[in-house]
Amino acid sequence: MRFLLSLLERPPSLRAAFLSGAGRLLTGEVEGSAVDFRHANSRPWAPQVSKLRPAIAWTLTIALTCLFASSSVQIAAQPESASPQVVAITGGKLLTVSHGTIENGTIILADGKISAVGTAAEVKIPPGAQIVDAKGLTVYPGLIDPESNFGLTEISADQMTNDLEERSDEIMPHMHVYDAFHSETELIAVARLNGITNAVVAPSTGDSIAGQDIFIQLYGRDRDDMIMGRDIALAMNYGAEQRRRDGGRGAGGGSSYPSTRMGLITQLRQSFLDAQDYMTRRDAAAAKKDDKSDKGEKSGDKGDKSPSKRDLKLEALIPYLKGERPVVIGVYEGYDVEVIMGLAQEFHLKVILNHVTAAQDVLDKIASYHVPVIIGSIYDAPRAGERFDAVYSLPAELAKRGAKIAISSADAGGPVSSHSSRNLPYAAGFAVAYGLPYYEGLKAITQDVADMFGFGDKLGSLDVGKMANVVLADGDPLDVRTDVKQVYIQGVAIPMVSRQTRLRDEYSK
Amino acid sequence: MHLKRPLRVPSFAACLILAPLCAALTAAAQSAPDIVFKNATVMTASHGTIQHGSVWVHEGKIAGVGATIDAPSSATTVDATGLWLTPGIIDPHSHSALDSDVNEATSPVTPSMHMIDAFDNRSADLYRALAGGVTTELLLHGSANMIGGQAVVIKNKFGFDRDAMLFPNAPGSIKFASGENPKRVYGSRDQLPSTRMGNFEVMRMAFEDARHYMADWDAYDAKVKKGDKDATAPKRDLKLEALADVLRGKLFVQIHCYRADEFLTEEAIAHEYGYKIRAFHHALEMYKVADKIAADQTAIATFSDWWGFKDEARDAIPWNAVMSMRKGVKVALKSDSDDHIRRLNSEAGKMVRYGGATEDEAIRMVTLNPAWIIGVDDRTGSIDVGKDADLVLWNHDPLSTYARAQKVYIDGDLFFDASLPGLGTTHFNGVMHDSRGFGSDDEEDGQ
Repeated sequence: MRFLLSLLERPPSLRAAFLSGAGRLLTGEVEGSAVDFRHANSRPWAPQVSKLRPAIAWTLTIALTCLFASSSVQIAAQPESASPQVVAITGGKLLTVSHGTIENGTIILADGKISAVGTAAEVKIPPGAQIVDAKGLTVYPGLIDPESNFGLTEISADQMTNDLEERSDEIMPHMHVYDAFHSETELIAVARLNGITNAVVAPSTGDSIAGQDIFIQLYGRDRDDMIMGRDIALAMNYGAEQRRRDGGRGAGGGSSYPSTRMGLITQLRQSFLDAQDYMTRRDAAAAKKDDKSDKGEKSGDKGDKSPSKRDLKLEALIPYLKGERPVVIGVYEGYDVEVIMGLAQEFHLKVILNHVTAAQDVLDKIASYHVPVIIGSIYDAPRAGERFDAVYSLPAELAKRGAKIAISSADAGGPVSSHSSRNLPYAAGFAVAYGLPYYEGLKAITQDVADMFGFGDKLGSLDVGKMANVVLADGDPLDVRTDVKQVYIQGVAIPMVSRQTRLRDEYSK
Repeated sequence: MHLKRPLRVPSFAACLILAPLCAALTAAAQSAPDIVFKNATVMTASHGTIQHGSVWVHEGKIAGVGATIDAPSSATTVDATGLWLTPGIIDPHSHSALDSDVNEATSPVTPSMHMIDAFDNRSADLYRALAGGVTTELLLHGSANMIGGQAVVIKNKFGFDRDAMLFPNAPGSIKFASGENPKRVYGSRDQLPSTRMGNFEVMRMAFEDARHYMADWDAYDAKVKKGDKDATAPKRDLKLEALADVLRGKLFVQIHCYRADEFLTEEAIAHEYGYKIRAFHHALEMYKVADKIAADQTAIATFSDWWGFKDEARDAIPWNAVMSMRKGVKVALKSDSDDHIRRLNSEAGKMVRYGGATEDEAIRMVTLNPAWIIGVDDRTGSIDVGKDADLVLWNHDPLSTYARAQKVYIDGDLFFDASLPGLGTTHFNGVMHDSRGFGSDDEEDGQ
């Protein structure tokens, strides 16, 4: 934190320079005309600022001693403008996700979007484009974490840094993650260095209805730059964890309603009924009002039963009752899946199932619901007596049954910990090790996540027209040994630095 | 086999035939047949990787390793074409199989606690670790106390009874802790310690008591040696006796410690009272002072890439292991988790990326180096002639994300075989015990 604090004490211009990223920080200075990441592995943290103009060098020295992840990363000239220039990434192995692998491919990033993708022969490089030589590198779309708590926590054990959940009540649909999202969190800088470019941010899992999620990109000037979608999904949970009993999570010490699954379900059903009723009355009142205004009558007659006061809690449930947005239901056990799906079907909710790591006994049933499933954590422990790989093989087993799956970064043994979100690709790799076809594994952390949350046309694959969220790495993205060399978010080469790389560099001297 | 009456041998000739047969049967019961692994990628951990290598196992020990070896033709051959062979994975920091009896968090000094008294040899944690290739574990007391209890070293012979799972004649270790956990646990009860000043003073006071106790016993022993028949033995005190063992160098000191300043303080106290620190555990800020700690020959057992879970993990960086190693510190990776213990091999793989560990260096972090921390590196942790045949056969490079343990051998005996239906265990049948919780220091200390 010391680094960040000292940075924030600098003049605003410097902060802006930092926040706007290395690509733009380096404007005006060139060394060579192409970017070459291939030799970056030799000493990835050795900075090379000697050839920079003094003013720029000063900026770097003061604010970010060792800004660059690579000694040989050479960003070519860019005009002093806010929009990133055209970038042509050539010679790489493109994992498109949507249409297979392209060896020796070229991808063009322009105006924050992918403007061309194909083989070297197919794609013409626009004149003036900055050429990034990706020979020997793998190029793939930015990874998307379907469940995170970025910006809702900093140091897990330090309660003052946590805004994970409002525990005063069990039904909290009117909690909006965007009200707590702290976009400057260090967790985001750490995760994006490993190619995570987008994420769903959800509250923690102790409430039956915990609030509404946001969809973010992991880079931007401020909160509004980074939030791509507000209230994109309702975070719902069902099972043992939400019961308000002694020793359990939730408000206060002793047991209180709902202390059993019977209570949890009844409370949920009543909440949705209340919201339905509220919606009906509100719609009726609106219709009546329209009717009256059509006839030129005054509104507010006696007998008008419209809710005079807005009820934010019930109002928050309406888009979900109408099936306009998905409800992400966190549930672990097979028998809990059956109960909560009954409720979801009763209210025609548009469901995304989440976790399901102890539901091996109902996989056929889960597939029969034809709802997307987020699997996480793949590292959850099986039950005693179950085979050691009962959870590892879950993505493969569900995919085999035709379910659309996504894989989350959630760590085992507790609620989501986005400190380890950078390990998202390894969770997918583990699923591949235990039977999921490779491309399905990659899709489960890219296109499939984007589809589930309504961003499928903007993100998730290397296709023309999509946002230029692109990762360059020196190998298989799902392998722990692979080093990510450069991440582009909306076409901007983001600074490959975090507080962790700065500490590394400081103590490597 | 129980016979109600002795066999009546009808003739001398039959005796001649039966005697060698019986002898052969007895010998077979005593030791498993020889095994030869052929055509494996052998990662020895001590002397590099041998492509298309062979390893010969005789009477539970490694009898040969190399490109070609002279094994008897009677040996069982395991065709390891396309497979990798490594030493068994060793976890120098586990709280598995203790049924949450990890912390006797009722006093900051509890050196007379013995983890063996809580060891549940039927815990599912052991099975899952075995399936991840783990053959040896150091089961440690938790981190609530500045001076915790004494560890137990096990071989993961899942299915055997408790005593058969103990690592024979392994040196004793004791767990110390520092930093946030002791001060939080006792501070929250308005007890000493509630600060880091309190933490370390609790230790010093304990060692002062131990010195006094040791002096009383030394005086008594001297009297006895002189033949003084009136000498009366001091009263035995289990707590002080254990601390005296620390001061006498009889126990390896394993310290839970995160911050750079605290490594220095711990070393200073160790120098003051004359004991050595075997390893700092967690040690997430070691990269800041590694050169100084290397001089004391203290190793570290660290996480690969955990950070930010508590304030003293704020400065954790994934390059810690390799940066510390380059400055001369012996580095092991450990789990401190019933989850991560199942994939320590790929945790080691991360070190190839974070700082450029060689394959050899990376695999050593989960085999030979943790063996040294436990004090059993002369017996296990590498594929060398004379060592215990603790071996794992993998379907893929063990440092990659994709490796699955195919077969796990301990002392030359097969304990896990993924190709078997059901659990894949060869010696276990019965009821496994489930574990609750995460099996971690930071989860088990009453947080």
